[in-house]
Order: sequence, then C-alpha cells, then structure tokens
Amino acid sequence: MRVSFILGFILLSIGIYGVCTSKNIIKSIIFFNIIQASIIMLFLNFGSIDSTNIPIISEMSQGTENMVDPLPQALMITTIVIGAAITALALMLSIKIFHYYGTLNWKELIEREG
Amino acid sequence: MNLIPIYIIFIPIITAMFVYVVNKKVFNYLVFLAQGVITFLSIRYYMLCDGFIEKQILVLGGWEKTISISLRNDRLSISFIFLTILMWWLILVYCWEKRKSDFKFLFFLLFLEGAFLGLIQTNDMFNMFIFIEITTILSTILIIYKKDGYSVRAGLYYLLFNSIGMVFFLLGLIFIYTVTGSLNLDIISEKISLMGENSVVNLSYILIIAAVGVKSAFFPVYNWLPKAHGAAPASISALLSGLLVKGGVYAFIRFNQVFNIDSLKEIFFIIGCITAISGVLFALSQKDIKQILAFHTISQIGIILMGLSSMTGKSYVGGVMHIFNHAIFKSLLFMGAGYIINVYGTRKITEIRGVFKNMPFISCLMIIGMLSITGAPLFNGLVSKTIIKYGLKDNGIKTIILYIINLGTGTSFIKMSQMFFGSFKVQKIKSYNTGIAMVTLAIICIILGNFYLPFTNILFGDDFSTVKVVSISSLLNYIISIGLGYLIYKWIIEKDYKIIKRLRHLNISFETTNFMLISFIFIMIIWSYF
Repeated sequence: MRVSFILGFILLSIGIYGVCTSKNIIKSIIFFNIIQASIIMLFLNFGSIDSTNIPIISEMSQGTENMVDPLPQALMITTIVIGAAITALALMLSIKIFHYYGTLNWKELIEREG
Repeated sequence: MNLIPIYIIFIPIITAMFVYVVNKKVFNYLVFLAQGVITFLSIRYYMLCDGFIEKQILVLGGWEKTISISLRNDRLSISFIFLTILMWWLILVYCWEKRKSDFKFLFFLLFLEGAFLGLIQTNDMFNMFIFIEITTILSTILIIYKKDGYSVRAGLYYLLFNSIGMVFFLLGLIFIYTVTGSLNLDIISEKISLMGENSVVNLSYILIIAAVGVKSAFFPVYNWLPKAHGAAPASISALLSGLLVKGGVYAFIRFNQVFNIDSLKEIFFIIGCITAISGVLFALSQKDIKQILAFHTISQIGIILMGLSSMTGKSYVGGVMHIFNHAIFKSLLFMGAGYIINVYGTRKITEIRGVFKNMPFISCLMIIGMLSITGAPLFNGLVSKTIIKYGLKDNGIKTIILYIINLGTGTSFIKMSQMFFGSFKVQKIKSYNTGIAMVTLAIICIILGNFYLPFTNILFGDDFSTVKVVSISSLLNYIISIGLGYLIYKWIIEKDYKIIKRLRHLNISFETTNFMLISFIFIMIIWSYF
C-alpha cells in the first residue's frame, strides 16, 4: 500500500468530517474541495501501478502492455474542471449572501427571515 | 438519420449559445424553432425505431464498443424525452410574455434542456456524472434568477449539497471501475451478472444510490428541495418539480437495472414510506403556498419510490406512470400558484382569499390539478396510484400506508382550497400564455385519467385492462377520504397547535444535512450486510 493511497483516504475522512461540522459557508466550500481532491487522488492511485510507463506510444515504451491506464487521468481532468466551476459559483453566491445578510454562518442565515 | 440522439442533445445547446451571442430580440424566437425541430426529430426517431421494442445503442466516434462513449435509447428513455420536450414547450409558453427579451434566461433554459436530454440518453457512467453536474449548475443559476437574498441562500444550499452528494457518485464510480474495468452501463451490467455477490459492487451501488437519492429527494436528504422550490421563479419551480427531480429518479431506475441487487429493495420501500409520510406532515404544517406544493413533491416522490422499489411487476409500472402523471399535475399546480402569487402579491394561504370570484378560469384549472393529485376518479393521479396499489395488494400494511398518505394529501389540499372561498378584490392581470400552458396541462390530466390503456401499451408493452381503476368503490373511497380530511382540517390543522408551529419553523442547517447524508449511506451499508 502506497503512502499516497493512505493519504487519499485520510483526506477523504477529513473532508467528510469537515462538511459535517463546519458552520461557515467558506469552510464548507473548502471542505468540499478537499473531498474532491481526495477522490481525484484515490482514482489516480487505483489507475496506476508502480513501474509503469506513461500512456504514450514511443520508442522508449515497450508496447502497450506496460502502460498506465489513461482513462482515470482523463476523467479526473474533467472532474477538476467541474469542481472549479462549482467552487467559483459557490464563492460568488457567498459574496452575494454576505452583501444581503452580513453573515456567513449557516445557522444565523437560516434563522433570518426573508 | 442514425445520429438523431446527438441532434436532440446539441440543437438546444447550440441555439442557446446563438441566442446569447447574437443578443437581438428577433432571434429569441429561434428557441421555438429549435423546439419544433427536436420535437419533429424525436417523433421521427420513434417512427424509425419501430416503437423501441429493442433498445438502440449509438456508438460515437467509430471506436470499439468497450472504450467508446455511447448513447442508448429504449422505451423508458424515449418516453422521458417526449415528456421533457413537452414540459419545455409549456414552460416556454408560460414564461414567454415576461422573458421574451431576456436572452440570458433563455440561454440557461435551453442549455438545461440539452443537458437534461443528454442525461436521459447517456449510456456511460461518467457522462451521466457530467450531465447531472451540468444540470445542477444550470438549475442553481435559474433558482437564483430573482437575485434576492432568499433565493441566493436557497441556491447556494442547493448547489453545495447536490455537489457533495455527487462526490459520492464519483467514489462509487471509482469502485465499479476497479472491479469491472469499464464505464459503459451495458458492459458493467453483464460483468456484474457474471460475478454474483460482491461486496465492492454492493458498496459502489450504495454510494451511487445515495448520490442519486440526493438529486431525487429521498427521505433524509431532501432539505434542499423545499428551499429551492420556494425561492425559484414560478416557471422554474414547475420545471424543477416536474422534471429535474425526476432526473434523479430516472438515474435510480437505470442503476437498479444495471446493478440488479435484491438485498436493498425492501429498504427502498421503507425509505419511500418515510419520504411520503414526512412530506405530507410537513406540507400540513406549512402556510406558504409554494412550500406546500414543494413538500407534496417530496411525498409524491415517496409514492413513486414505493412503486419503483420492486423494479418488476405492476407496482413498478405504476411507479413509472406516476412519474409522468406527477410531472403534469404538479407543474399545473405550480404554474397556477405562480399566477395567483403574482396577482395577490403574497404567498401566505391565510391571506389569499376569493380566488374563485376574481379568476374563475384559473381556479377551475387549479381544481383539476388538485383533483388529480388527491386521486379523484377520472383524473390521472388515481390511475397510477391504483396500479401501485394493485401491485401491492397482497400486503395489507403497505396498502394501509398508501391510504394514510392519500388521506394526508387530501387534507392538505383542503387547506389549500380555502383560498378559493371568500371575497377579496384584486387588480386582475391578463395573461393568455399562462392560460394556454395551463389548459394544455389540464387536458393532458383528463386524457391520461381516462384513456391510459394505449399509453401503458406503448410504454411497457403490458395490458392493464384487468386493473379496474374507476369504480363505485374508488369513488366512495375518495369521498370518504376527502370527508375525513375535512374533519382533520377543521379539528386539528386550523387550530394551529404548538406542535404544528414547531414543525413549520423546523429548519435544518447545512452541516446537519451532510451528517444525514453520511448516516443515510451507513444505514444502507449496514442493511445490505446483515
């Protein structure tokens, strides 16, 4: 078991703990990003084994057998893009919320009427 | 002609971009052209494929089947496509007067249609993830379209909670990819059926269903729904409740077909029960007209889930039919509610009085919607509820639960129907578009309530003439449940006891909702292993 593999699981549990406990909107967004990062890390780890080559056919690589699976990497790039879009939108909304309510605390927000 | 599924996805998206870039009033009418084209294409596709007795798979890019992206259409997906296109027609007609020069709104609306049609047709798990995320982002933007504090708050809640749910979808996707080595739903299905019991497959199924459950508002994770429905503009609430929630239910059906795991079917029935009953209870306590309708969406989703949980037989068919019927009558109710709110300038049902005197036509249409949702004979709500009941008829407790839910729904709509009585003068607003959209929906309600047999034949290839929907006993049942509902309303709900007030002001904050999501996953894991 590799270090980065364990690290992924630790990050995942930190992220889940964070979204379940943090009372601030910005912190929630940060923990959401941590979960996403951990999942990207895990998927890349599942997709590759030690001492494999890059997935590009060239003179250096010996055939296609010893290559890393390129699919997880391609998928994770897309996930990163989606995560960035969601983070940007969420941060924009939290700025708006601070303008309207003057607070970023979930609980205080919900208690305010209107 | 084979490429029609791609055209259906990309024509709305490209039109949306064109409308946004050109930014001229005249070109906004292009959205209707695009709608017409995709309507024509989807009917043509249906004709070409001979009614979809066999599923059609379109492999893109000329790659091998194992590694390529593919689109899949069968009876279920093509009927969802027709429903989607119909709903978008009606929503466009409904909001056209207000939004005809608002090119941003039209951009987001049409883009959402393309993404939703993609979500329905995709045969690839990662593409499904992407389409669900796109629909989440776009519907967030549409929810916050009024740009006031309340809607922005609801939009952020919706966006973050749904994204956190979808993260678990990704986690499930990793596990299924490591086991089967493919993301194509057909190949995954084949490999899983060969494998037999496998704990990793079970785990990934649970994670995926939890994510889909957030999207389609199952019991512990539906907190986003009433907030989002309450905050959105009327046309978007109709769309959210009628279709976007059903996107999650559709994914639920698809993943159940792929994984086909029996050990969790019973818990889905229980979750459906709790969803339906809690939805009805919250709806009874509310006073905001949109919140009442939103909580009824939850309770109807519960009924749908109760039907779908078996995944075979008559109750499954009833569940699928209820998806369609609910889409139609709930969007009718939301459109009517939006119009009434617009005229009266308030959303409290205790302040809205004398609707029938002021606008008799709209009230009649609203009453048709109410009769449908409460399950009156000759309207479409009763048909699917009866078929679900018919599928569960050997089980006494399950039937009684359905009766209780129906009673609660009746009570809640008696509370809502109080707004028709009394007298209150208001300034009328003429709106032909609202009338056209609502009349169409009401006619569909009545048609589906009376002539549902050809519909079920086409959709499921199953004959339902043996199930007796309209009879004297169903009429009696309805009258008794409405009478009981009226008594409950007079004696309990109208008094507004302390516990009802507490239920009304019950607010669950964001971190608690996340905790509920995690515990939802853990409950399912524990259930599947013991």
